[in-house]
Amino acid sequence: MSVSPRRLRAGALALATLAVISTTACTAGGSGGNANNGAATTLTVNTSFVLKTLDPGRVYEATGLTAVHALYDTLLTFEGSDVGTPVPALAESYETSPDAKTFTFKLRSGVTFSDGSPLTADDVVFSLNRLKNIKGSPAVTVSELSVSKTDDSTVVVTSATPNPNVPVVLAMPSTGVLNAKAAQDNGAKDGEDAAQGDTAQQYLDTNSIGSGPYVLKSYEPESQVVLEANPNYWGEKPQFERVVLRNMDVQTQKLTMQRAESAEISLDISGKLLDGLPESLQTSGVQDTVYFLFLNADPAVSAVTSNPKFNQALRAAIDYQGIAALYGAGAAPGAGLVAPAFPGTLPGSEASTRDVPKAKALLAEAGLTNPTVTFNYPAITYKGVDLGTVATKVQGDAAEAGITLELNPQPLTSFLDEMRGGKSPLGFTPQSLNYPVADSLINNMAPGQATALRSGWTVERAEPAIVAAGEKVTETLDLAARATAMQEWQRLMNQSSPYIVLASNSSTVVATADLTGADYSAAGWQVDVAAVGRR
Amino acid sequence: MTMIAPDPVAPDPKVDRALTRRRWLGRLRGDSAGRPVWRQPIAVVALTILGGWLLVAILAPLVAPYDPLAQSADTYASPSAAHWFGTDSLGRDIFSRVVHGARLSIPLALAIVSLALLIGGLLGLVAGYLGRFADEALMRLTDLVFAFPQIILAMAVTAAFGPNTRNAVLALVIVSWPVYARVIRSAVLSMRGDDYLNAARLLGVGPVRALRRDVLPNSIGPAVVLATLELGNAVLLLAALSFLGLGPRPPAAEWGSMVALGSQDLSMWWVSVFPGLAILTVVMAFNVLGDALRDRLDPRYAKGR
Repeated sequence: MSVSPRRLRAGALALATLAVISTTACTAGGSGGNANNGAATTLTVNTSFVLKTLDPGRVYEATGLTAVHALYDTLLTFEGSDVGTPVPALAESYETSPDAKTFTFKLRSGVTFSDGSPLTADDVVFSLNRLKNIKGSPAVTVSELSVSKTDDSTVVVTSATPNPNVPVVLAMPSTGVLNAKAAQDNGAKDGEDAAQGDTAQQYLDTNSIGSGPYVLKSYEPESQVVLEANPNYWGEKPQFERVVLRNMDVQTQKLTMQRAESAEISLDISGKLLDGLPESLQTSGVQDTVYFLFLNADPAVSAVTSNPKFNQALRAAIDYQGIAALYGAGAAPGAGLVAPAFPGTLPGSEASTRDVPKAKALLAEAGLTNPTVTFNYPAITYKGVDLGTVATKVQGDAAEAGITLELNPQPLTSFLDEMRGGKSPLGFTPQSLNYPVADSLINNMAPGQATALRSGWTVERAEPAIVAAGEKVTETLDLAARATAMQEWQRLMNQSSPYIVLASNSSTVVATADLTGADYSAAGWQVDVAAVGRR
Repeated sequence: MTMIAPDPVAPDPKVDRALTRRRWLGRLRGDSAGRPVWRQPIAVVALTILGGWLLVAILAPLVAPYDPLAQSADTYASPSAAHWFGTDSLGRDIFSRVVHGARLSIPLALAIVSLALLIGGLLGLVAGYLGRFADEALMRLTDLVFAFPQIILAMAVTAAFGPNTRNAVLALVIVSWPVYARVIRSAVLSMRGDDYLNAARLLGVGPVRALRRDVLPNSIGPAVVLATLELGNAVLLLAALSFLGLGPRPPAAEWGSMVALGSQDLSMWWVSVFPGLAILTVVMAFNVLGDALRDRLDPRYAKGR
């Protein structure tokens, strides 16, 4: 007893002091990068690692996608920040059949793998079949595709259903082409039973067997991944000899970039964290994430949120401009479910607006006085923004219209469990696309689809016009017309779906001033390190 | 001539009890050597700070110029005449929130410490007085709680029950009662076999009455000192829990969650520094006061003697 109070007091004082000091003190983690040694040859990329594997057939995480995109070539690709038009890569040209089911790719000649052996149609067929048949996370994008070759330089991809977005899928890093012989030598299989037989992941985590501009030098999933320029690269050689992907938390990234002088990139500084960065740094951002509320349409879960008038009232109560301001400079008020980065997005001029008197009138019409709803959200910071702050803002906005939202911050796993169980009366979540095609929104969020059912939104409870508009999108094969149909679908969704889009937010690449080509891409790989050069 | 005088070493139990009961109260008043608590300058400062915070908490609606939950378009305003402590990301006035925060932190800390003192004290009394199995069982239970760092155990309990104010208080009571149980138990143990207790028992005083009239008054002193020290700790642990999102739910004006909000962007220093300073002053004041009390009440810590 004689010891513990004194110790407690000392501890208490130290912690109380910390509470104050930690908010003002700054401690830098990493060094400022590569100021002296090899300044001309190494590019440093700082990111908070989300990295499980570098096997193209299994890669699904952001950091892995950045590396795999530099190690393996795909049939098509995207340049810079554009994700609308696939451009030639391994395929020098391609043709689409009028029914959007058959796609014929003419391979470029003279392409070699990093070991010097030539790349042929067999390698493409092997790689795509392996991706499909080992049934890893990215396999879902190619599950309806089959692939064959007609000669050594022609590959035909067919889709079971009409799908004009097959070229986009074939630009994704997971469709990267492996050296089939080297892969098979190390346990890779492409048969229909490959899910059991393929043992190549361990080899592919530490060796690269692609034709990309870089080869894998070292793989330490906890700390860093080092890439070196591929000496046998068939295309124009990248400017940087080495690329080092460093694992770094986002606050340290910000401090590091404040001191960085050259050849340094950070991938996770976004939202409010961008405030206060030195003017000399360059940023490239694309609004690829939307944040939306979902109201349960099932009266058994909530008589309030399932009331269409309440849905309308809450839409009118929210200050969309104010919420966008919480996300910082790279954000915009919510327009539709498709983020501005992708084809089919609604123009900013159609952003939702606030109308508190209308909200009050709608509540009165519905006979609801002081409706009270539990508001679930994950207690996390996503892309530099604390979701709790946004939820509190929504609560304040709703209160002005006479709606009481009881905030219920949850650990991410509990939040997801409750959402999947369909028991959340009102929830809040960010959404990004796995690949840059908005069709998946219809597959998930149209009435009766998997995500919609989690909000109790069955076909019976939906407006028939919304169901029809969704079907029209999938039936439209011309890409431009499809994008227009997508916009029409979103306008209807904004009128009576369980989803209220609050804002869209950017992902951002922050780079030192000496670099060129450090463009953010919403295609999955974040930044094309091979395209980064010096001024 | 022989005179029969009362034996001086066998005092009247009633007299002795009255004396011992006042032992710690007397020390507080300074009637043994040294100055009373309120003559020590540092303790006076601590008392003034606490008195000030108490006043602020009681008069919060009068002191605060704004509604602590009212959002405005004036976000991240730096400290100025209109907003003394600036505003946060939602345009809420930080001064008003810090003031209203006192209404949460101080009463909750008092509730935590009183509940822990009550529970721990009762169990400690029983364990010390009964001894044997009850004592063994209880002390192993306290060992169990002591085996974890307080904050980790509190986090686990709150996370399991769900984060809200009630569960945070519950968790902090669970992690803090054993300290009082230990202190009271050891005080009771040191008394066991004392003559006045034996005498009381011989006079037919039952255990409940003995505990209440003799044992408790003589053992409560150290526990009260400890409770004062622990008040600061409770404020801090509560702030830590809400810093981690396990305390009172937003948008409550809780100091810990206000520090957390500000820590997202350190360039807006005022968002977290002012609630941080509130925590600092309250915790330090409770600690200084507890220290001063202990100096008076526990001879082992008395200075200059």
